[in-house]
Amino acid sequence: MQPAMTRASVEALKHLPTPVRPRIDASDIWVPDGYTVEPVVAGLSFPCALCIDPEDGTLFVAEGGSTWPTRPYMTPRIWRMAPGRDPEVFAVENLGGPRGMSVRDGYLYVSLKGGYNMRITRHDLTTRERVVLVDDLPSGGWHEPGGPIFGPHDGMMYFGNGSVALAGTVLPEGFTVDIAKHPHAHDVPGQDVTLTGNTVWARDPRLPFPYYAETGPFKPFGSPATKGEVIKGQLKCNSAVWRSRPDGSDLELLAWGIRNPYGLAFGEDGHLYATDNDMEEKGERAVGEDPDRIWRIRTAQLPPGEVREPEWFGYPDICGDGLPVWDDAHKPIRGKRAEPLIENPPPWAGPAAYLFEPHTALGKLAFSRSDTFGHRGKAFVCQFGTYAPLNTNREKHLRNGFQVVTVDFEAGTHEPFMRNHHGGPASATPGSGGLERPVDVAFHPDGRSLYVLDFGNNTANKSYVVAYAHTGVVWRITKR
Amino acid sequence: MDGTAPGHPQGPYVLNLAPESWEEHLDRASTWLANVVTTQVAFRQALEIAVPKIEEPNIRQFLSEMLDRARQHEEVAHELPRALGREAADGARSLAGVVMDVARKALDTVEGLAGGARGNWKDLHHLLLLNLDAMGAFAIAEQLGLALAHPGLRDLAWGVQAEKSTDQLILQELMLEMAAVSILYGERV
Repeated sequence: MQPAMTRASVEALKHLPTPVRPRIDASDIWVPDGYTVEPVVAGLSFPCALCIDPEDGTLFVAEGGSTWPTRPYMTPRIWRMAPGRDPEVFAVENLGGPRGMSVRDGYLYVSLKGGYNMRITRHDLTTRERVVLVDDLPSGGWHEPGGPIFGPHDGMMYFGNGSVALAGTVLPEGFTVDIAKHPHAHDVPGQDVTLTGNTVWARDPRLPFPYYAETGPFKPFGSPATKGEVIKGQLKCNSAVWRSRPDGSDLELLAWGIRNPYGLAFGEDGHLYATDNDMEEKGERAVGEDPDRIWRIRTAQLPPGEVREPEWFGYPDICGDGLPVWDDAHKPIRGKRAEPLIENPPPWAGPAAYLFEPHTALGKLAFSRSDTFGHRGKAFVCQFGTYAPLNTNREKHLRNGFQVVTVDFEAGTHEPFMRNHHGGPASATPGSGGLERPVDVAFHPDGRSLYVLDFGNNTANKSYVVAYAHTGVVWRITKR
Repeated sequence: MDGTAPGHPQGPYVLNLAPESWEEHLDRASTWLANVVTTQVAFRQALEIAVPKIEEPNIRQFLSEMLDRARQHEEVAHELPRALGREAADGARSLAGVVMDVARKALDTVEGLAGGARGNWKDLHHLLLLNLDAMGAFAIAEQLGLALAHPGLRDLAWGVQAEKSTDQLILQELMLEMAAVSILYGERV
């Protein structure tokens, strides 16, 4: 069966055939006075990215692949929705699927993960020719590509690659992400590091009986580390952010130690900002009360080719607040307390540009550059929403996130901009047709509109998380 | 912006949620779900054959309890298409007998683990493979529930899948525990 987008009435969206999300209704969503919100697309499967062509307003939406959790895999494809034309499948990707997109000068640039690699591809908007620009960035684990975006000051392409490990060592938590499919996957540092020799012991879920396995940092699961062991830093590492020319050449490492640099954006102040998610309070290397954060990457200000040392933002040993993961402030109330992994850490590049409560789960971000839309200069940040009680069992974090917030970095404040009237995801309020999990945002070139991508129903309980296909939505917020 | 500002995509759109598309999804899924019944019936029938032959009291107890669960799981298998508003395929129960017979013959010819073993130990090996097949079918049903945004289907299938996963461990342990004495001494289980 060919995928088909068909027009529907707003009323029809209140009676959908998908039992877990039977109703899409913008009236259940709060936005500030002077703005309206409306649905644009419903029925997407695990959408992770959208972008808008600044030339003609065409909307691109990426969905599918193997996401969060990994099953079921749905067709990873990119939709092109041009004004005045029927939506069409622009491209079908493969493996883990697309995670980020940008349009520039007649090309669509896409970040993907799949197998053991993360990569950047480029699609010609006219011929649809697909070229792999950057490949073999080590992946096959938990965290995500970031970007690609383009520097307004230098025209360079900026992108990120999250860590393979959940918490510094590959662990059996939700092993379908890494160990089952990618047993050789591991983190790679951006600079030479000497190990403390601390390792993590865990049951090996691959074996037919509870077999105890020892794992060190920057190693595949089941590979121990020794004290004083040196792991060589690599240009193609992970938990990292790079830039290159738009054709992928002259790759330059700007930063590493960012656990999940999923959202990248340049502010009007010219700085590069990266969202990042906290460590989790569960399992064999647990960390409590690690704040979600946005980093400011200063090396992006240097001319291309001039970065002598990449910045290090702390993963896997430093929390968002600059305290080590083994500090009493981060003592977990569940799971095994973390120990130091790196003997000679590089200088910490913090403090963070902004800290949020733990477990808001930051997605992508965009800066308002429009006086008409308002909030000019502020970042619009997706808070995907917590996986508590899975990722932490602290009652106070059960409803964190599930909204889009504006961040004023200068004032050090943030405010909700889009959320459900009752807070939390729509699925937590019976009968609600509102927002589930915002994952990406993009401003339209008309200067009046913001598009918000809603991943769909993705429900966690104390033991596991599930995600339901055909529940993703694109929302549009317009300044009246 | 002036009047020449780029336009917007129209909408709203639904992706594969139009009634014709969705009904076709449900039809395809419910047709496939007959496989869950088939594989589960095959496993339950194999247990019914195996249990009376078991002499070792603890193993007999384990498998008797498993048979009780298998009958419950079979009822759930029939419920799965109904969760989607469809009736179970008419031929599912009779087809299962045919499949069981075919599977049994195929397993008997396997010169693998059970090859050359005497007595009824190879029944454990057969049960292991048949439960694996049925467990996989329930797991696929769970994936269909997730793909169709249908928590009712997903939850039904997941509950059985979880119990059958435990049963698979039990069967594996019993088969391995008894392997040596069956192969070396020809002892019955």
